[in-house]
Amino acid sequence: MMRGILTFSTLASVIFFPWPLTVLLAFASVPFEPLVPLAAGLFADTLYYTPSAGGLPVFTLCGAAMTIAAFFVRSRLVAGSIG
Amino acid sequence: MSWGAFALAAVVLVLLLRLLAPNAFWYVFTPAFRAADALAAGSHAVLSRFADTAALALQNEQLMRENAALASENLALAEKVSSIEGLGSGTAGIVAGVVARPPASPYDILVLSKGSAEDVALGMEAFGEGGVPLGIVSSVLENFSRVTPFSAPNATVEGWVGRAHTPVTLLGVGGGAMRASIAHAAGVLVGDTVFVPGPGLLPIGRVVRVDSDSSLPTVTLHIQLALNLFSIRWVELRATGPAFVDALPWATTMPL
Repeated sequence: MMRGILTFSTLASVIFFPWPLTVLLAFASVPFEPLVPLAAGLFADTLYYTPSAGGLPVFTLCGAAMTIAAFFVRSRLVAGSIG
Repeated sequence: MSWGAFALAAVVLVLLLRLLAPNAFWYVFTPAFRAADALAAGSHAVLSRFADTAALALQNEQLMRENAALASENLALAEKVSSIEGLGSGTAGIVAGVVARPPASPYDILVLSKGSAEDVALGMEAFGEGGVPLGIVSSVLENFSRVTPFSAPNATVEGWVGRAHTPVTLLGVGGGAMRASIAHAAGVLVGDTVFVPGPGLLPIGRVVRVDSDSSLPTVTLHIQLALNLFSIRWVELRATGPAFVDALPWATTMPL
């Protein structure tokens, strides 16, 4: 249930709060739900991305990087616990 | 299915909606942005009850905003008086509510609640309170449009600075701030007004810091917009002519 609330809060913060809080919530949720940063980044770019302003969809890329890092760390932790 | 996977699937559906039916997408999300505005206003009001200092800070903020708008309007009027071309060129614009603004909108854009159905067109210039120029309409849907502010990252606009109206290229750095480089000899000081083209010269902001290095022939000007982008609730859209828009390569046609 806590994971669900954290996931929902992260996505809701994209609309309701300034983006640094979204980043903070994404960091908080990544140990439990590695896909949440990617989802939040994609959602932020879906709402606000402007091709003329920056070039790259920064939030999607950062979310994807955080998700990949989380999966990598998880795989190492699992391998460590087996060994 | 984990919560993260569920969230990702939902977001992909939202993305598809935006790509396939952008007008419907903004219709769906506008109430959410309105709720966010109401929440921000409500939380501000609640917090202000706890201490007089908070109420004073709020009042101070409102007075500063009004003062900036009046000062800007005054400067614009003074410029019009001194420029014959500026006189009589005012036309009624389209007033549009702001659906999304920074800092919730991290790319420094304004989403407006009026579009082509209300005669909003690409390249129209957006003005805030007191006639302060804010940016250019960079995309239009049937009922929504998007304004890219002059202060958006990497946006450039030609302008003038100071009492001598020295020409300068203004570079947006985001968050309602701009930067420019100018020769030492121009003698620009903190507090000098910065202008952009419109009907005559329109004040857009003030120089808030001047960084100088004795080894360089130029100084860097840090400029703050006259209006706070974070609290803008409406803008006025006016057509200011194709020549001005053609000079802005970043104000291109993009899907919303």
